[in-house]
Amino acid sequence: MAFTITCPICGKRNGYEFRYGGVDKGPRPDEEELTPADWCDYVHMNACVAGVQEEWWFHRDGCGGWFTIHRDTTANLEVEKPEVNQ
Amino acid sequence: MNRLSKLPTLRIDPAQEISLNYDGKTCRGVAGDTVATALYASGVRIFSRSLKYHRPRGLYSLDGECSNTCMQVNGIPNVRSENTLLSNGMTVKAQNVKGTPEKDMMGFMDRLDWAMPAGFYYRMMHKPAKIWPIALKQVRKAAGLGKISPEFQMKGKYDEIYPKADVCVIGGGPAGLSAALAAGERGLRVILLESRPWLGGFFDYRPAEYDNSIHLFERARELAELVEQVPTVRVFSHTSVVGAYNNNLITAFQVGGESDFFDERYIEIRAQSVVVATGCIERPLLFENNERPGIMQIGCAHRLARTYGLLPGENAVFSIGHDLGIEAALDLSSLGLKISQVADIREDGQDPALVAGLAAKKIPFLRGWVANTAHGDARLNKVTLSTIQGTHQRDVDCDLLVASAGMTPVTGALSLAQAQLAYDNHTGFFLPLKLPDKTHAAGRLLGLDDPLAIEASGHLAGLLAAADCDPDVSADLKPAREQLDDLPGPVRGCKLVQAPVKGRKTFICFDEDTTLKNVAQALEMGFDATELIKRFTAAGTGPGQGGIPGHNLPLFVAQYHGEGGGLAKPTTVRAPMVPTFIATYAGTNHDMFKCTPLHDYQMESGGVMRRIGVWKRARYFSHDFSCREEIENVRKNVGMLDASTLGKFRIWGPDALKALQRVYAGDMSKISDGKIKYAAMCNEDGCIIDDGVVVKRGENEYYFTTSSGRAGSTVEWFRFHSRYDGWNYHMVNLTDALGVINLAGPNARKVLEQLVDGDISNQAFPFTGYREFKIRDTIAVRIMRLGFVGELSYELHAPASYMQSLWELVAQAGKKFDIQNFGLEAQNVLRMEKGHIIIGSESEQRTTLHDVGLGFLWDRKKAAAKTVGAVALKQTEKQAGRFKLVGFKMENASRTPKDGSLIVDSSIKGYVCIARFSFGLKESIGLALVDASLAAEGTRLQIYEDECEGRHLYAAVTALPFYDPEGKRLRE
Repeated sequence: MAFTITCPICGKRNGYEFRYGGVDKGPRPDEEELTPADWCDYVHMNACVAGVQEEWWFHRDGCGGWFTIHRDTTANLEVEKPEVNQ
Repeated sequence: MNRLSKLPTLRIDPAQEISLNYDGKTCRGVAGDTVATALYASGVRIFSRSLKYHRPRGLYSLDGECSNTCMQVNGIPNVRSENTLLSNGMTVKAQNVKGTPEKDMMGFMDRLDWAMPAGFYYRMMHKPAKIWPIALKQVRKAAGLGKISPEFQMKGKYDEIYPKADVCVIGGGPAGLSAALAAGERGLRVILLESRPWLGGFFDYRPAEYDNSIHLFERARELAELVEQVPTVRVFSHTSVVGAYNNNLITAFQVGGESDFFDERYIEIRAQSVVVATGCIERPLLFENNERPGIMQIGCAHRLARTYGLLPGENAVFSIGHDLGIEAALDLSSLGLKISQVADIREDGQDPALVAGLAAKKIPFLRGWVANTAHGDARLNKVTLSTIQGTHQRDVDCDLLVASAGMTPVTGALSLAQAQLAYDNHTGFFLPLKLPDKTHAAGRLLGLDDPLAIEASGHLAGLLAAADCDPDVSADLKPAREQLDDLPGPVRGCKLVQAPVKGRKTFICFDEDTTLKNVAQALEMGFDATELIKRFTAAGTGPGQGGIPGHNLPLFVAQYHGEGGGLAKPTTVRAPMVPTFIATYAGTNHDMFKCTPLHDYQMESGGVMRRIGVWKRARYFSHDFSCREEIENVRKNVGMLDASTLGKFRIWGPDALKALQRVYAGDMSKISDGKIKYAAMCNEDGCIIDDGVVVKRGENEYYFTTSSGRAGSTVEWFRFHSRYDGWNYHMVNLTDALGVINLAGPNARKVLEQLVDGDISNQAFPFTGYREFKIRDTIAVRIMRLGFVGELSYELHAPASYMQSLWELVAQAGKKFDIQNFGLEAQNVLRMEKGHIIIGSESEQRTTLHDVGLGFLWDRKKAAAKTVGAVALKQTEKQAGRFKLVGFKMENASRTPKDGSLIVDSSIKGYVCIARFSFGLKESIGLALVDASLAAEGTRLQIYEDECEGRHLYAAVTALPFYDPEGKRLRE
């Protein structure tokens, strides 16, 4: 990716050093009463946000750490965590 | 042709002659010439024929803004001859001509323009539908300029570098040089990119005064020298920017000089901040026959003389809209060019000193007049001038018409960087409205014209870019802004879009032969947006990358809609901004692969190596690729195989078991001492992604193996699937730290007992056991008894640095049994006979553990561990319509289907994963994934092999394994 990503351990680096790990969907839900459709949604469906989303990245060519950033999908740029509006 | 050889602005060395071969004849140029100027000096005036109408074309911009001067050089098509430096022995050919450029047999096409309106090929050649394939073939032959054969081999060396910079300055003219100085003098690391082979931009060739003491060209050299002396500034000249991306990533390529080791070099720069100072090109003047050879832009005519010492003609007329045109006329006149008339589009606003200069030379000057129609079949011989309203006209004989509507900013880099551009009424330019973060613009592209203002603007932009990197610089910004404000601002631009003509032969795009008439046709058909018109008429889609239609197209469209410039927007610019060799993007092809410590030994023993993933491994040790001898030796005697590429990992820590439970499908808490546990990993869809062996070496201390292909991503996988848990465990990838030798065959124990210092009888070390030994008191080995190939077998894991010694020891111990090497193909057949799977061969993305009969590796009682894949394994356990792994035996033993052959009945029902002739069983057997409906033992399978032409093969589903079904041999 052409944009830069800030690794919490290594600092701001070229996007090419990282691998994308998907939108953050939280830890795996409990197995009780989980239908195949629910499970497929958790694994495969994404919200496809046109805006800022929190997502996981892996520093493949660096420290090997997993971390999240916020990215504006319309500009394809890393952004600050947005203020929470209640 | 005689050169003006004494000019101080020359960038050629007239003393050094260089010859080239043009269309079979020898031509001569000099050092510093481009291919185009060398040909011009040799008398060439027509360089090519245009795409559609085969109109003659010559020099126009001298900067490669259009395909007029694209030629074949040394076998490479579409080389921009105006930008390519001449080197000795070049072979140059004209393109798109049948005959010569002077006498092209396709020239009659020009008279058929009425038959080729805008988008004619979309509308005409497919009714009736059957004529389309014929039309397609003919259009393909005629479309395109250069020719290339599929066998063409690109020669040369192509390098790549990835420098980082604080500030990247694009453009080495006065503004860019000033910006580089401003940032560099404050200690910042600056990279300056300039597309010409020298710095100086549009000061470089002009003898006009800079100030009271020096001329512009002297100032250019002065600035260049100042920049070259700043130690933190790195200059890349002869370098064109091709792309600009998020967070100031700039891509460019540099043409190598005589002393460089590369022909071209790709440069990718990550900069903190960027200054774009790319200046202006001229806006082409639109009038009838505006592209005849003999019609040139101001810069082309002026630089031919001042940079290359060549007078651009003998009898000239100027039709211009900017003071640069008058300046050029005065200078060229003093160099010997006869000028019959200077027509200025502007009614007023000229520099009085320049106008006075024309009067002093008695050159007739018209205000409010413009070139209307150019005459001459192949070359210009006359021009009709008219008032801009078209009310009066007059003819003037000439062989050179310098034509230019005015300046237009080079906004490509800004567009690529996603700046918003808006039309400015004063300058007539598209100016940046909103620039991305840490990107600044400077110089002529902002509409500035005064030399000092251009430099001050560059200076300010350099400081702004520096301040982005070093906040202390902000203190210097105020005086810099004030200095710029005191200097003249942007000048009023000439707004004329076209001469008052109908436009049937007024070319808005030279590359695609698109006329104003074509654009009007498109508009009348309802293509109202510039982007649509561009695609429908092809204007701007040629090799010139839109340099000629440029801003004329949106301005013309806006005028048609009666909007004025306000709503016009330039068409989207995309990388590469400048034509670039694919070889430059590809770079040097480094053939890289990993070797095991036993690589050389294997090769010396006759190993035939193949690439497997990132490795090279021995596939065969026989000339006979069926590997019969290797296979039979393992079944009856003992063989040795290098398995060093196996993934190997240490995992330890208080939560190591939790991590193992999360990632492995089975229950990892049930690993006994001294025993291996065969285990599998699945993804969230329950599909098998890896299998291997886990061993517990101590409290919270484990050692496990993975397939070679997954070794690189195993730690990542563990960490990803425990990312929310905050567990305390550590992992080390030992894949390269330990090597592995697999000793397999009924005599394996007899070989091993000579080496290890312990009891390896079947009671002491049974099947699926794990032991640690010392060999010769030195080499620590971890040994596993596994059964992949179906014989008594030991896997010896030892430190990589001892592997060669271990190999020698094993070979020595095996000598009396005549131990042989075996490779991956033999191993493949041996394991197939046992029905053992290889991930990726008997499985693919959709294959679950259940599908391949390994459902027993999943422990359904450990739900609390939230094992990856467990949910899907539960949900697919009884799912219908899945593929299942089966063994099969061919009805005809002498006919083995190819791997990957399809299994069919009324539709595709599966495929052959692997099939081989088994020497031991004397049958053709294999493994296949088939629809569950065909998986019952005894089912007849119909196999479709590629190119079988309807003659199917037949097999029957058999039980697995084929060989030693009770597994006695493994347990010996």
